[in-house]
Amino acid sequence: MRFWKRNKAFFKLAVLSNLEYRLNYFIDAILQPMIAAGIEVTLWYSLFHTLGKTEIGGYAQNSYLAYALWTAFVTRISINWMYEFRMIEDIESGTINSLLVRPISFFESHLSQFLGYKIVTTLISLSIPLTVTWIFGLPFDYSKIPLALGLVTYYLFFLHLTSFCVATFAFHLNKIHSFTVAKNLTLWVLCGELFPLDLLPEPLKSIIINLPFSSGVYLPVGYLTGRVSHETLMQGFLSTTVGIFIFAVISIGLWKKGLSSYSGTGA
Amino acid sequence: MKYLRLFLSFARTSFIADMEYRVNFLSRILTDVIWYVAQIVTFETLFQFSDKIGGWTLPEMRVFLGLIFIVDGIYMVLFQANLDSMTEKIRKGDMDLLLTKPVSSQFMMSLQRTSTAMLGNLIIGTSWLIYSIISLENFEWIRLAWLIFLLPIAVITTYSLRMLVSTVSVIVTRADYLQFAWYQITRLGLRPDKMYAPFLRYIVLTIIPLAATASVPARALLDPPEVGLFIWIGFVSGFFLWLTTKFWNYALKHYTSASS
Repeated sequence: MRFWKRNKAFFKLAVLSNLEYRLNYFIDAILQPMIAAGIEVTLWYSLFHTLGKTEIGGYAQNSYLAYALWTAFVTRISINWMYEFRMIEDIESGTINSLLVRPISFFESHLSQFLGYKIVTTLISLSIPLTVTWIFGLPFDYSKIPLALGLVTYYLFFLHLTSFCVATFAFHLNKIHSFTVAKNLTLWVLCGELFPLDLLPEPLKSIIINLPFSSGVYLPVGYLTGRVSHETLMQGFLSTTVGIFIFAVISIGLWKKGLSSYSGTGA
Repeated sequence: MKYLRLFLSFARTSFIADMEYRVNFLSRILTDVIWYVAQIVTFETLFQFSDKIGGWTLPEMRVFLGLIFIVDGIYMVLFQANLDSMTEKIRKGDMDLLLTKPVSSQFMMSLQRTSTAMLGNLIIGTSWLIYSIISLENFEWIRLAWLIFLLPIAVITTYSLRMLVSTVSVIVTRADYLQFAWYQITRLGLRPDKMYAPFLRYIVLTIIPLAATASVPARALLDPPEVGLFIWIGFVSGFFLWLTTKFWNYALKHYTSASS
């Protein structure tokens, strides 16, 4: 009971703090993904225009436009810059000291806030691609939304673990923000944001799709837009579980090592 | 001459500061390499399904990518760290101090910090361009001379467009979201302009001249020279540079000193 109570408090804190500045919230949840979607759709449209083809890799133009549109919005859910930077800042500045003496762990407090932020962003921002998909009749299966969003939510736990691992390097090194940039760029390539991963040649395609990173964008968006089968999506749950287990073990080790060398400066 | 000496002095201190955090130095190079790989993988993948994109074959597209990497490298070395931190400087009031210096404040805000780590990226980008040019059949090496004119134009255009966006934060302080929007829009410059529909092509060649960053220099190397286009893009680039100064001075008049 205590576990839920304390996490709920941090969850609510993130929801309230994100809704505090409504203009920023509007920009973050609506405007930014709209611009990203607009550019992405333009790039795919232009590609079809210049190639003069009706299909690429067995899928029609509308399939790519739907993928591009949904990718922009799902990516907003499945990335973690802000809370990773905050974790790093907490360790670098010594703010972590005040968290270490509280009845909630550093990991938990940031995870609850991270999930609170994602929920409040997701609820509003997904209404945009839903509307656009409906107006333009893009290929999309509405009945698949719960399972696809379930995978994205599950992926967030994996994502937070990777962020936590990166943040623990701040115990040993100064200035590690570029680690976050490098990690997120790697995820950007591996999650399918650049292009649908099924366009990759074999065996690269099978390898990358079976990594947990594809659960962030390619698998849920592909499933919604008809590129990914139910079985492949379920494999995403499995690979994410394996990823969570591996990164949980790594993060426990890194945290213990980091904390033992931490001298508690600042604050 | 005074500004050149000042710039060299900034570059020296930046190098010393960069070397202080060596892991950070290396990871910043790695970060950009990942970005380069992403661009290469995108085109290598798309060319599985077509022989030409925007009128260029895969080997020609590699030249286009090489130019993107070089322009990006030069921009990163000279300007990126400065323009990225502009909002922060304004918010914390650090800009106030710069305004009291007896030199151009735009110069100080644009060139105070040199990212020497990014020289590594510049070397990687140049190597990629050389590799891709060597891979071309019947390349006329004399065409590289166009880059003496077009590369500075590409860098000036990249700087000017980004500077215009960053300058908004002098007026409204919190303009972080504009940076994100700008990052998305610049993605139009990562594809050859010839693949766009005429209307969009007009935009990237005039209103937001992102085609100046790589498309136009790549055309100079790969297609029959279009001197009229090169002169036009030079004019547009000069205009945008002039505009940055005008807009900077205008923004300063509305600056309310965020922190003090």
